Amino acid sequence: MTKHYMLISYQWLKKYVNLPDSITAEEVAARLKASTVEVENVEFQGKNLENVVVGKVLSAEKHPNADKLKLCKVDVGNEKLQIVCGGSNVVAGMLVALAKVGAKVKWHGEGELIELKPAKIRDVESAGMICASTEIGLAELFPLKDEKEIMDITHLKARPGTPLAQVLGLNDSVLEIDNKSLSNRPDLWGHYGIAREVAVLFNKNLKEYKTDKIKPGKGGAVKVEVENTKLCPRYVAVAVSGVKVGPSPEWLKKSLSAIGLRSINNIVDITNFVMMDLGQPLHAFDAAKVVDTTIVVRAAKDGEEFITLDGEKRKLDSSMLMIADQSKALAIAGVMGGLDSGITDQTNTIIFESANFDAASIRHTSTKLGLRSDASARFEKSLDPSLAMPALQKAVELVLQICPGAKVAGKVVEASKFSVKQGPIMLSMGLLEKKIGTKISKKEVERILTQLGFEVKSKGEGFAVKIPTWRATKDISIAEDLVEEILRMYGYDKIESSLPMFAINPPEENKLRKLEREVKNILANSLSYTEVYNYSFVSGEQIAKIGDDPAKYIALDNPLSKEKPYLRRCLLLNLLENLEQNQAGNNTLKLFEIGSVFREEDSGLRTESNKDSLLPGQDTWFTAVYMEKKNNTPFWAARGVVETLSKTILPGIVVSKSGADGFARHPSRSAGLMMGEKNVGSLYELHPKVGSNFGLEGRVGVVKINLSFVADLQQFETTYAPVPAFPAVERDLAIIVKKNIAHQDILSALLGADPLLQSVSLFDVYEGANVSAEYKSMAYHFIYRNNERTLVTEEVEKAHQKIIDILKKSFNAEVR
Amino acid sequence: MQDKLQQIKTEALLALKSVKDKIQLEELEIKLLGRKGGQLTELLKGLKDLSEDAKREVGQLANEIKKDIESALAKKKTEFVQQEMAGLLEKENLDITQPSLPPKVLGHLHPNTIIQNDLEDLFTSMGFMVLDGPELESEYYNFSALNIPADHPARDMQDTFYIKGHSDWVMRTHTSPMQVRAMQKYGTPLRMIVPGKCFRNEATDVRHEHTFYQLEGVVVDKDISFAHMKGVLESVFKHIFGPETKIRLRPKFYPFVEPGVNGEVTCYLCKGKGCRLCKQTGWLEVFGAGMIHPNVLKEGDIDPNIYQGFAFGFGLTRLAMLKYGIEDIRLLESGNMKFLEQF
Repeated sequence: MTKHYMLISYQWLKKYVNLPDSITAEEVAARLKASTVEVENVEFQGKNLENVVVGKVLSAEKHPNADKLKLCKVDVGNEKLQIVCGGSNVVAGMLVALAKVGAKVKWHGEGELIELKPAKIRDVESAGMICASTEIGLAELFPLKDEKEIMDITHLKARPGTPLAQVLGLNDSVLEIDNKSLSNRPDLWGHYGIAREVAVLFNKNLKEYKTDKIKPGKGGAVKVEVENTKLCPRYVAVAVSGVKVGPSPEWLKKSLSAIGLRSINNIVDITNFVMMDLGQPLHAFDAAKVVDTTIVVRAAKDGEEFITLDGEKRKLDSSMLMIADQSKALAIAGVMGGLDSGITDQTNTIIFESANFDAASIRHTSTKLGLRSDASARFEKSLDPSLAMPALQKAVELVLQICPGAKVAGKVVEASKFSVKQGPIMLSMGLLEKKIGTKISKKEVERILTQLGFEVKSKGEGFAVKIPTWRATKDISIAEDLVEEILRMYGYDKIESSLPMFAINPPEENKLRKLEREVKNILANSLSYTEVYNYSFVSGEQIAKIGDDPAKYIALDNPLSKEKPYLRRCLLLNLLENLEQNQAGNNTLKLFEIGSVFREEDSGLRTESNKDSLLPGQDTWFTAVYMEKKNNTPFWAARGVVETLSKTILPGIVVSKSGADGFARHPSRSAGLMMGEKNVGSLYELHPKVGSNFGLEGRVGVVKINLSFVADLQQFETTYAPVPAFPAVERDLAIIVKKNIAHQDILSALLGADPLLQSVSLFDVYEGANVSAEYKSMAYHFIYRNNERTLVTEEVEKAHQKIIDILKKSFNAEVR
Repeated sequence: MQDKLQQIKTEALLALKSVKDKIQLEELEIKLLGRKGGQLTELLKGLKDLSEDAKREVGQLANEIKKDIESALAKKKTEFVQQEMAGLLEKENLDITQPSLPPKVLGHLHPNTIIQNDLEDLFTSMGFMVLDGPELESEYYNFSALNIPADHPARDMQDTFYIKGHSDWVMRTHTSPMQVRAMQKYGTPLRMIVPGKCFRNEATDVRHEHTFYQLEGVVVDKDISFAHMKGVLESVFKHIFGPETKIRLRPKFYPFVEPGVNGEVTCYLCKGKGCRLCKQTGWLEVFGAGMIHPNVLKEGDIDPNIYQGFAFGFGLTRLAMLKYGIEDIRLLESGNMKFLEQF
C-alpha cells in the first residue's frame, strides 16, 4: 500500500530555506542526487494543464441527436466555443475546466494522455472538452462524487480564459525520492530534513522550526502506561476537545495533494501534514473510545486478533507492540491504527499520539504482518525521539488554528526513557585528508558540519563534533561517518583521482583459477565443447532420476520454488537436463561446466576464524558430457577429452580400472581417473537407464574431474629427450585375442621386454566379420631403435620375435 | 665445312622461330642434334677427315655453334614450360568464396567467462590477486563480519537463501565475504579481486536472477584514499568501456563501507548524450564502492588506526548484458545452445 518513493513539494521546501527564484527545482534535484538521495524525477504540477482554462458555460441545451449529451456555449475569454458535454451536472452559469484543442487529457480518467483535436460528436462540432477532475489529474483536489460529474469551479470566481493552473495555484514542482536511498537516513523522511540538506548544498540559511508550546487546558489529562520502554522509548500524548471533524482548508488540501495524499478530514490531514513536514508519524484517537482515557502500550498476546484501519483482520503474536486501553487494542504500535478507534464525524475529543518505537521491532512486526505503512517505514529507520514533542506541538497548533472551538484538555503527558549518544566525535584534519586524499579547508569543514546541525568546537588540529539528535540514532557515530558528511557536501566530483603506489611484487598465483581457465580454453577451442552455466540447485526429481539419495544433499531452508530445493553434489544433473532441452535439432551435443558442488561429508573452510565449526566441502569440479545420436560408444569421445587434457595441462592423469564404481554408470564402460595414488575423477558412459529417465535420445559419455584436487597435484615435467641420431626400424603386427584382453595389460607386458623396443602403439581395433564372436583383432605399431648405432635386420627380427612370443604365451594371441 | 656449319646455325635459328609447341621443338632438336642422323652430328662426323689444324679450327667453331643452338633450344623450351604451367594453373582455379568443408565446428565460452577472463587479466596486471571463496558461506562472513547487524533488512528471508538445519549457513548474497577472509589470510598490503557466483532469494524475470556473478575488489594499505579509489575505478571502466569513459560517484549506503558510493559510468552507447540504454540520462549505474568501514578492517585483524582502504563491487552478469546487449538475464543460465553458440 505504501509507495516505494516519497514526494517532496518544492514550494513546501522553500518555506524552510530561502532559495532565489533563479534556482530551479531541477537544479535542487540534481544537487540532492549528487550529495544526498536518489531523486528519480521532478514534475511540474501544471505540466499537464496547458491549454486548460476557466470556461463559463453560457448555455447548456440538449444535444439534437443524443439524450445524454448537452450542447454548450462556453465563454473562454477571447472567444466563445461550442462544446459537446456528457456531464450530468453541467448548467448555464457554471465555471468549468475547459480543455481546448491541443490540451492533453485522459479519457474518462483512464489510459494515456491524449491530445485533444476538433471533433464531431453525433454530427455536432465540438471545439474542446469540459473536464471531469479525473481527466486532468486533479482527482485529489476535486474528488469525483459521481462518474458523470464534471469539475465545478464556480466557487473560485475566476475570469473566463484564465489558465486553470494559475487559478488553482498549481505552480509547484514535485521531487520524487527513492525510499531505498533514504534507508539509513531517519532525518530525511519529511520536508524539513530535506530542506536542511538543500540549505547546506546552496549555502543558505535553514529557518528554525518553530512551534508553540502547548498550554495545558481544563479537564482531565490523558494517562499513559508504557509496559516496555525498550520497544517504546518515548510516548507523548495530549487530548484536544471541542474538535469538529470536517473538510480541511484549501491550503492543507493543496499541500497534501501536491505530494500525492488525498484529503480525508481535517484531523487526519493534520497528522499526515506533520508527518510529511517533520518525518514524525502521529496518530489521532477518538478519546471517547479509549476507556478511562488511559493508553497502555503493551505487547500483543499470542493469537490476539485485531482489525486494522484497512478492514483486514490481523493475527498477532507477543513480539508485537500494541497501543491499547485497559480493555481492548487500539492500534498496532507504529504500524497502523484500528478500524474501531479511529476518529469519525461525531468525534468531539481527540487524543494525539506522538511516540517513538524501536526500529527493529517495528520492522519485524510490519514484515511479519506483511503490512507496511508510511508510519512503519519511518519508525523502522530509527527516528529521533526528540522529534516527538515538536511534532505534537505542531499538530496541536494546527488543530487550534483550523477548528475554532478546539481546546487543549488537560496537560501533555509523557512517558520517556531514552538517551541519544551525541558524542562528541574527535575529527582530526589529518585523518580527513588521509581518507579523502585531498585537502579541504578547515573553514569549509566547519561550515558543512555546522549547517548540517553538528556542533563544532576547534580542538588541536581538528574538531570535537557533537552529533545532532536527528543524526545520532543510527547513522553517525564515528569519525569516518563525518568524513562522509564532509565529502558528499564538498562534492565527489571535486576530488581529483589518483593511483596508489605499490611495491612491484607479483600477485600470488591462484592455481585453481589458472587451471579452470586452461581447461575451459582447451574444451572450447580445441575440442569444440560449449560451456554452460547452470544453477547450483537441483530437484528431488533429478536426484531420483539419477538414482541418488536426496538425504545426502544439503537443502535450502527457503527455496524460491519447491522445485529445486537441493544443492548440487555433482554438475551432471543439470548438464543432463541441458542435453534434454537442446537435443531437438542438434545431432551432436558437447557441453561442459566448471563449478562448485556442495558435500556435507567433506570439510570446507571455517565458519569463523576463531571457531572450530566448518562449512561443507565445496570443491570445484569439471564435467563434460558428449551425446551424439546413433553413436552407441560415446565413451571414446569422452576418453578423447581426458587424453587431450593429459597431453596438455594434466600430464599425470591416468585412466584406470580402479575408481570405476559409482551410480548412474554403465557397469562395463566405466573408469576412474587417477593422479598418482589419488582418485581425481571418472570417465564413463551414463547408464542407459538414467539416460532414458532424463528423456535422452542418445547415449552419453561423461568426464568428471575434481579440479580442486588436481590443481594441488598438478606438476609439469619436462618430457624432452634428445632427437635420435640413428634410424629406427618400424614393424606393424595384427593379433587376434579374446575380447576380455585389455590393451593396458598388453602394453605393460611388452614395454621393457626388449631394450630395442622403443614404443608400442595401438592403431586399430576390429570386431566383426572374419573375427569370431568372442575375439577381437588389435593392430600395433612397434618402433625399434638403438641410440648408439644403426640396427641390423637380424637383431630387429630377434626382438620382434620375442614380442610375438610374449603375445602368444601371455595372451593366447594369434598373429594374423 | 665452316660454311655448312654457319648454314646449319642460320637455318636452325630460323626453324626455331616457327616452332609452335614442345613436340615440334623436340623434333627440331633431334633433327639438329640427334645422335643418329642429327644434322650437326652427321656433319661433325666429317671432322676426323680433316687436318690437325683444320680440326682444331673447325672443331672450335662447331662447339660454339652447338652451344648457341642448344641455348636457343633451351630458351624456347623454358618459354613453352612457362606457358604450359600458366595454362595449367589457370585451369586449377577454385571458388575461393566456398567455405572449407566439412564445416568447422567451434566450441564456445560462456559470455560471463569471456568478461571475467578479461577483467582478471586487467587486475592481475595491476598486481591484484584473484581469489574465490565458498558459495555456501557462514552468516558471520556474509553479514556480521561486514558490519551488517542481525536486524538489517539484507538478512531478511526474502533476500537470502538459508540452509536447512544450519541456521548459521547462507548462500552468499555477494562476493564481499571474501573481504574479511582475505584480510585474515593475507594481511596488508592487500590487493585482491573476487569474481564469483552469488545468490539472492528473488523471483526471476527479464531483469532479475536468483543466481548471478559479481566481481569484488579490495585495496588496503597505509594511505589508500578515496582519490585512489576513484582513480582505480576510472582505469577499470576505461578498460571496459573505452578511453573516453568518465565515472561519477554519488552517496550510497552500504554497511561495510564509510563513505559509501554508488558509481555510474558514461553510457558507452551514446557517449553520454542520452539514449534508450541509459534511459536518456547519459549514465549507467554499474558499481558500488567505498572506503572500508573500520569495523570490517577490525574483523579482518587489521588495525584501522594504521591501515585503510577501499572496496568495490559490480555485477559481471550486468556487464555481460550491457556489453552484448542481452535483453533477458535468464538466458545466461538457461543452457540454451541457441544463446551460447553466439559467443
